[in-house]
Amino acid sequence: MVIEDTLFVLWLLLAGPLWATVGLFILPGVNQGRGEKEQVPATTLKIAGLVGGFALGPVGLGLFYLEPTLIRRSSLTLGVVLTVFLSSQVLARIVDPNLPAALWLLLAGPLWAALAAYFIPRHYRDLEADDQNALTAAALGGFAIGPLIFGLMWKTVPKVNRDWMISLGALGAWQIYALFAIQNPANPCVALPYAATYLTQQTANGIVIGCIYSLMAVGLTLIYSVQGVVSFAHGQLYMVGGYFSFYFLLHAGNVLSELTGTEVSVNPIWGIPVAAVIVFVMGAIFERVFLKPMHEGLIERVSEYAILITFGFGFFLEYTTLAIAGPFPQKTDRFIQIRRFTLDRFHFNDEVFFGPIHIIGDRAFAMVVGVALIFALLYFLQRSWTGRALRATSQDRQAAAVTGINPTNMNTLSFAMGSMLAAMSGAALIPIFNWVPWVGAEMVGRSYVIVVLGGLGSVPGALAGGIIVGIVEALGAGCHPDPSRGAAYKEAFALVIFALVLLLKPTGLFGREQH
Amino acid sequence: MKRISLFISILALLALTALLPTGAVYADGHCEFAEDSIKIGGLVPLSAPGTVAGGVAMSWAINRAADDINAACGVAIDGVNYAIEIVIGDSEGSPERGQAVVERFILEDEVDAVTGVYHSAVGLATMGMLDENRIPTVFSEPWNDNVSANGIMEYDGRPPRNADGVDHVFRVSPASSMVGSVVVDWLLDLGVGNVVIIAENTDYGQPAAADELARFEAAGATVTQINVELGTEDFVPILSRIQASAETPDVVRVIVTGETSFNLTQQMAELGIAPTEDTICVTNQVAFQSEQYWQNVPDGNYCAFNRVGIIPSLFSDTAVELNEAYFEEFEDIVPSYAMASYDAVWIIADGMARAGSMSDGAAIVAAIETTDLDLSQGRYYFEYGNHNPDLPEGTPAFMWHQWPDPVVTMMQYFEQGQSSLDAAVIFPVVYQTHGSSYIAPGTSP
Repeated sequence: MVIEDTLFVLWLLLAGPLWATVGLFILPGVNQGRGEKEQVPATTLKIAGLVGGFALGPVGLGLFYLEPTLIRRSSLTLGVVLTVFLSSQVLARIVDPNLPAALWLLLAGPLWAALAAYFIPRHYRDLEADDQNALTAAALGGFAIGPLIFGLMWKTVPKVNRDWMISLGALGAWQIYALFAIQNPANPCVALPYAATYLTQQTANGIVIGCIYSLMAVGLTLIYSVQGVVSFAHGQLYMVGGYFSFYFLLHAGNVLSELTGTEVSVNPIWGIPVAAVIVFVMGAIFERVFLKPMHEGLIERVSEYAILITFGFGFFLEYTTLAIAGPFPQKTDRFIQIRRFTLDRFHFNDEVFFGPIHIIGDRAFAMVVGVALIFALLYFLQRSWTGRALRATSQDRQAAAVTGINPTNMNTLSFAMGSMLAAMSGAALIPIFNWVPWVGAEMVGRSYVIVVLGGLGSVPGALAGGIIVGIVEALGAGCHPDPSRGAAYKEAFALVIFALVLLLKPTGLFGREQH
Repeated sequence: MKRISLFISILALLALTALLPTGAVYADGHCEFAEDSIKIGGLVPLSAPGTVAGGVAMSWAINRAADDINAACGVAIDGVNYAIEIVIGDSEGSPERGQAVVERFILEDEVDAVTGVYHSAVGLATMGMLDENRIPTVFSEPWNDNVSANGIMEYDGRPPRNADGVDHVFRVSPASSMVGSVVVDWLLDLGVGNVVIIAENTDYGQPAAADELARFEAAGATVTQINVELGTEDFVPILSRIQASAETPDVVRVIVTGETSFNLTQQMAELGIAPTEDTICVTNQVAFQSEQYWQNVPDGNYCAFNRVGIIPSLFSDTAVELNEAYFEEFEDIVPSYAMASYDAVWIIADGMARAGSMSDGAAIVAAIETTDLDLSQGRYYFEYGNHNPDLPEGTPAFMWHQWPDPVVTMMQYFEQGQSSLDAAVIFPVVYQTHGSSYIAPGTSP
């Protein structure tokens, strides 16, 4: 109650009828000392003072007073603010007038984020200021500090760097967590003394699975960066990678068992290179036969063709596998014979403790494999001639061709490598998840989210995107106020982040602008 | 010139075809069949997101039943033998797709009866269509109580739903409540007080969980329900939540079907949540497919599971033969839904034979209501229907057109890699095979 009352008093200080009255009297004074052409109609000023003061408090009034052009241009703004304010007031009273969340929505939160994201970047462009990151910072700022962000960014038009965004983002995250904690005191993500352990556990879960997601997404982003094609067969290539590994291990085990006379089980790690080689060749052949004509100008509607042909390839792989392998789930042996790694509980005193933290053994191993492969790919792209050629082609095909790089070969290589990475991801995961011919469907959907989140064409972006998606899903499912629904909404949490990134930074976290 | 020759050849071929005998019968060696055949639609999931493994097994069983019936000279109606022809339709586990397939069954294939259906959502979505079109139907796997109860939901002493007083839908699988009562009775006997139910978000999972939750809470147990989507692969975040709860649950009950339940059970075991000394693991009946189970849940030893259908040690000759044929095809033990699908075709065929018609829906329904057949799962009969419309007070509505005797047992593995034929039957006591109601992890019965 103390917190709620404090916030309510804060709101009374910052906005409300008091400031509306102040605005009504102060704002008409704006016209004093201004030329005739710069005069703002008195009625407009009175309305702006009344509404601006009521909705935005001293910050709004200050903005209007210092920048009267804002009033002139923003009758729409006032309408929006009024609507937002009144709807927030109604919301706060209908839903629960005492809830701090409602006050937060009023003083900061998504509504102010939307307003700031709309107006501040335009203001930057009007002033011909550097508006890079202005949209993101404005939105994050509106989210975290509400109307104060206008005070911060409108007059001085500061150059926004990454520190700004980290600070504002962290402040916003803190507010959400604080509100969440006030409203859900028994939630395992906030309830002491378990919260630190639980949050660490869920974050670890997210990082582990996120690194595995990344490996698959990296292949997708590699293909896109060089060819500009989104492979809709990626999920099925991931699936066949798992099956190639499964059948290789099965037959290799049988052969070795016959040779040695004892039952031999081949470690699934050997399935990864086998799946990689087979799918690399498959990908190369597919690219040569079906995608090359597209780049040679033999296809009229290139975008549609790329979608349809990769879709078709995916269907072919899925139903061929169903016919050959059947619908029953398959799985290989473990990578390592350790069921789980456990960091034991340790106490700071009788009441404060940390742990235990559990990580499933095979997942930890697959994570290491995934990260190692991603770094190997990065090394290849940065240090080898062929890798540089791939990057050059992705940046400018014609310029690359002038320097002696064959773009056609680079296309083939990128698709084959991308397919290979999907297959390796599948081969790394078949000891962890049950394998059926449609196993790629869920994974590929997530991969699209990851590559857009990280930035289409960016390998580090795919790694970061995978980890973010993994953590968001784990924390979302683990912290949802209703435990019966957390797991069911797991994928939706990542999609919320996806939608936000598309809104705020359409190029993704590490993406580059297409020119 | 060549085209004219081709045209003449085709005409000649058509003429020859027209001249072929069009009599009422043909022979396959030892039986004479009428030219017309009885068409039975088999509605099963053969594509994702449906449970394809279940659909494949059911499809196999339905075709196997038709082959066996035809090998015994088909269905004799008025002294003429009619062969059974199966038309399989893929429901994909989706209600709207199921409805489209049923529409095709009725309008294009002109089926005389329908069987199959794995997912409750498909059963609920199609039963009205089947009833309105007067197609005798024997569902073989949907568990949602309302699949049979809808026919009598508004029962007030008069025949339900249809103006002609005939309800065409029967069910030979158990209703969820029949399974839930066994699971809950067993767990309450063991004295559990803190229960976690993980249920799939489907027309099977949610009502089944609600039923079990109500039974547990009525007995004073504390229940936490967690809903999950079918097809989810990674359950670790939500399992970590269970692990972080202040009190260790006495039991984790999995009401999730197919390979999704395999992933869930394995991850539960890997994290050390269940089965453990403190927490009982109760997984889905698909665990009975021991080959698949051990391949996909290698850490699932000591998990208990509900089993529908006669226990392996009491298999009849029909069940043994069916099991052998299934094993030859799939290298696993025949699941209950395959047995039920096999039996359903026989029930339809028997009904048609006794009704003396393959198209008179009302007569066939009346005949099926008075079924008395010993098949792979035991003796089939339907206690309540138009032949006996008065449900005693306290009898649940779903007993209308419901086979009342599906055997529901609790079984438990106690050795790594054990065949389900050797697994212990632990409940009800009358079926116990190892003298124990629960085998604690690390022990032997």
